[in-house]
Amino acid sequence: MRDPKNLLRSSYSFNRRRLLTGFGATALGGSLSGVVRAETLHHSVADAPVANAASPEDSVPHLGLHQAGVVNARPANGMVASFDVLARDADELEALFRTLTARIAFLTVGGPVPMLDPKLPPADSGLLGPVVRPDNLTITLSLGASLFDDRPWLAPLKPKHLTRMTRFPNDALDADICHGDLSIQICANTQDTTIHALRDIIKASSRQMILKWKQEGNVPVITPGPDGRAESARNFLGFRDGSANPDSSDAAEMDRVVWVGPDEGEPAWATGGSYQVVRIIRNFVERWDRTPFGEQERIMGRAKMTGAPLDRREGSEFDVPDYASDPEGKATPMDAHIRLANARDEASRANIILRRPFNYSNGVTRSGQLDQGLLFICYQANLEQGFITVQRKLNGEPLEEYIKPVGGGFFYTLPGIRDASDYVGSSLIAAARGA
Amino acid sequence: MRISGLVGASALALVLSSGAFAQEASLDLVEPIAEYKIYVSEKVAKLVEDTTAFTAAVKAGEVDKAKALFAPTRLSYEAIEPIAELFSDLDVSIDSRADDYEKAEADPEFPGFHRIEYGLWEKNSAEGLAPVADKLLADVKELEGRIASLTFPPEKVVGGAAVLMEEVAATKISGEEDRYSHTDLWDFRGNFDGARKIVDLVRPLIAEKEADFLKTVDANFATVDTTLAKYKDGEGYVTYDKLTEDDRKVLAAAVNTLAEDLSTLRGKLGLD
Repeated sequence: MRDPKNLLRSSYSFNRRRLLTGFGATALGGSLSGVVRAETLHHSVADAPVANAASPEDSVPHLGLHQAGVVNARPANGMVASFDVLARDADELEALFRTLTARIAFLTVGGPVPMLDPKLPPADSGLLGPVVRPDNLTITLSLGASLFDDRPWLAPLKPKHLTRMTRFPNDALDADICHGDLSIQICANTQDTTIHALRDIIKASSRQMILKWKQEGNVPVITPGPDGRAESARNFLGFRDGSANPDSSDAAEMDRVVWVGPDEGEPAWATGGSYQVVRIIRNFVERWDRTPFGEQERIMGRAKMTGAPLDRREGSEFDVPDYASDPEGKATPMDAHIRLANARDEASRANIILRRPFNYSNGVTRSGQLDQGLLFICYQANLEQGFITVQRKLNGEPLEEYIKPVGGGFFYTLPGIRDASDYVGSSLIAAARGA
Repeated sequence: MRISGLVGASALALVLSSGAFAQEASLDLVEPIAEYKIYVSEKVAKLVEDTTAFTAAVKAGEVDKAKALFAPTRLSYEAIEPIAELFSDLDVSIDSRADDYEKAEADPEFPGFHRIEYGLWEKNSAEGLAPVADKLLADVKELEGRIASLTFPPEKVVGGAAVLMEEVAATKISGEEDRYSHTDLWDFRGNFDGARKIVDLVRPLIAEKEADFLKTVDANFATVDTTLAKYKDGEGYVTYDKLTEDDRKVLAAAVNTLAEDLSTLRGKLGLD
């Protein structure tokens, strides 16, 4: 059980089992058989992808109660693209959803690309060659508040907490990389696969929506440690990110934290969906690199090298800090990032979110500094209790001197595509027609 | 005269081309391409006439008059861009933008319509523009001469419909083309008219086989017409900043769709 190979095998069987059964990840709780028993492994979606374990044949089922790309492990590459939607009525919106569903079905399963008369433009960009392989691809669709607000026939169906992303005190939002009617999160083992998917979708939907902005990112792949446990990937501040994420293989926990249920006061069509928050958070990395090591650790609240909490430096990132024994913040400052974000008490359990971020590196600013940061993505069943509450707690934190949120948006991740005859967003369309 | 000359040239191309389908297509295209050459010739004659008046106003220091003539003069050029662009040296000289030069507007190399546009709108002056105006008029006349002796390549003509839409999609929908005068909607009109002319000329060749395709294309042209009509002002259009965000999206989607659809026009006509 402590052999890294076992972990690899379990990861493979995990994928294969889901592929064969077609069950979403939530159907998996407790049923993981084979080398490693489920309760011994904490699956965080923010675990670093395992080095040399990725295969182009890795496949995540696109059918299920929930969309893929939320509770399954984050692969090495991710992207969020935001679009303006043209649809004026339910028929046009259904047509868009059906177009996207067809592309999702092809791209995530793979297969030979159609060959047309060479006098015509090719059906496929060819980036992946004559046969598209799934490569762990997930495509996750979410809707922005503007899609509802701008359409009277859709407005009554807007999820309860969905709003245009509000500005927080440390934000410097750039209108060119904010909001949108529809977000598409695309994740895969390789960047080519995410770009191929994006170009395919744009080509298929050009009459129905217009690209507004996109941000790509990636996370380092890491060889698991001697204890076989995958580490959380590091962000561009050099700290592990996602250590305190909830266990994504625990279906009940995911139902509580991530998925909207039928009894949460949300419109009925929204059951099985989730709130998605995207934040493009620039890191002032030059300044960070000129900050004393000890101060960096006090700002974050973790040992930089190991990720261990500051009150048990000999431990690992998975040890839980004991704030009750440190009421004055002598070990972990009261305003440390991880302490503000999650007080680890009963009350803050309501504010747990599932983080699934990627690092981005874009180029150079006009000031000659690196434009790097975090493509922060998180999911939660309640946007107000989740991200918004956590961010309010973080407002004014010392880390703010080193980070600047510049873009992103709030979106509602649609419920899953139930089966091959279903399409993404079908419950919303049915509700719009019934209203 | 022009027609018979062109027919001869195309007939030769037809003999040389290979593949039964392609031959048949070229034969059918002789007439549309001859008609297109007339269309382009008329447009470029109009361009020379309008540019003569425009550059005269610039040289006379009549800023208001020059401003009024700027957009209508460009209309003819925008409609025939796929052909004008075959002469890349002239296209650069007539229609390049400040971005194409390292020092942007301050670059002494920055020529043509947009250099004059910059002076007229940003400086509200025609000072120093006389040499630029002389060069522009000479270039436009040179273009007319070269077009007269050009054998129109069928694939460039038919492909031109898509090229016009690609132009709009890539660098015009943002309003960056006429960034000083904001007369972009005039340019759009020229681009759309030029694209539609090509579609109309080849329409009889594909009317039966590609009825659905033509229906979609026509619907998107109609969307463009309806949208642009809202912004009509006299003979032309209001400035681009008056375009609402919603209408900009409608135009962008129509342009993307037309670019996507018209990219298949060459293939549908059997052109390689």
